[in-house]
Amino acid sequence: MDIGSLKKESDLSYGIAVAKRNALEKAQSRLIIVYKEHIFRADSQTINLVKTLGEVHSSPFYIVDTNDNPVEISNPKEFLQILVQRNQEAISSYHQMSKTFEKKK
Amino acid sequence: MLVKKNLKLPITVVTNFKTFKSTKPMGFINYKFIEPELGNTKLGKEWNNVDRHMAYELSPYDTTLVMDIDYFCFTDNLAQFLDTDYDFLVPNTAYDLTGRNTFDQRKWSMIPMVWATVLVFKKNHKVSKIFKTVKYIKQYYSYFVDMYRVYAKNLRNDYLFAMALQQINGFTGYDKLPLALPTLPPDCEVVKITDNGLAWKHDDKISYIENQDVHVLNKELSNV
Repeated sequence: MDIGSLKKESDLSYGIAVAKRNALEKAQSRLIIVYKEHIFRADSQTINLVKTLGEVHSSPFYIVDTNDNPVEISNPKEFLQILVQRNQEAISSYHQMSKTFEKKK
Repeated sequence: MLVKKNLKLPITVVTNFKTFKSTKPMGFINYKFIEPELGNTKLGKEWNNVDRHMAYELSPYDTTLVMDIDYFCFTDNLAQFLDTDYDFLVPNTAYDLTGRNTFDQRKWSMIPMVWATVLVFKKNHKVSKIFKTVKYIKQYYSYFVDMYRVYAKNLRNDYLFAMALQQINGFTGYDKLPLALPTLPPDCEVVKITDNGLAWKHDDKISYIENQDVHVLNKELSNV
């Protein structure tokens, strides 16, 4: 491989890496939701916490939002459904974008 | 148009009459005319950004989402923040869409900066005090800039609001929008804008993003 081809490959890889990172950031932005007037991330940590507390603790239970303020969760089933729905909306969009990056390689 | 399409909120544009006359009128927008305070500059050009402190009294709404004119909302992500329990929310991070991490602002001051490009506030006594503090710091900005050792000496709302929030909250922190504002640095030239996203040129390369909000810092697009 000559230096010109190497630079071209490197630039292409960099472009794909930045686009992929942007797609992930887009997904991270989309994971942020407002529920019961508080802000949460519909990420794996929140989903697991709400699912676990819903299973092993009677309602209501309490968790903290993104600003560390406590929130009463009285309907964990409803909250979990919203979290999972938003999580999969964001991550499936990221998955679709990732597929287009693979084709460019 | 993007605000109407994606956020579905009533819109009030604060501008001067000259700018209003130079743009295509849109019937669904309310206008508030001000005479911008002049004298602030960025890279040697007039920078019309000094009037943000007036947002509280100029807003006709109980809950307001303030947005710079160079912030393109290609999503409805921001709309939900009008329905929170919080009185005042501002993001404190930005995300560099070019992948260069150029917004590592802590090197440039002793105070973590906020990104006052986007603010959400309610009209109440607490927020009124925040804006009064903003006005006070603006009045003595050169003193506060020196005290916080801010590298940039021109007035920047990001520092103005960061200082006000730190002061009024007794140096204990404050509530934030957990968003990293997707931002294009000033050396990126926007080459195309559609209903869903935009394309930019940087270092002889064209990149684009869709269905993601974008804050464009290149002032050739809009001098705010």
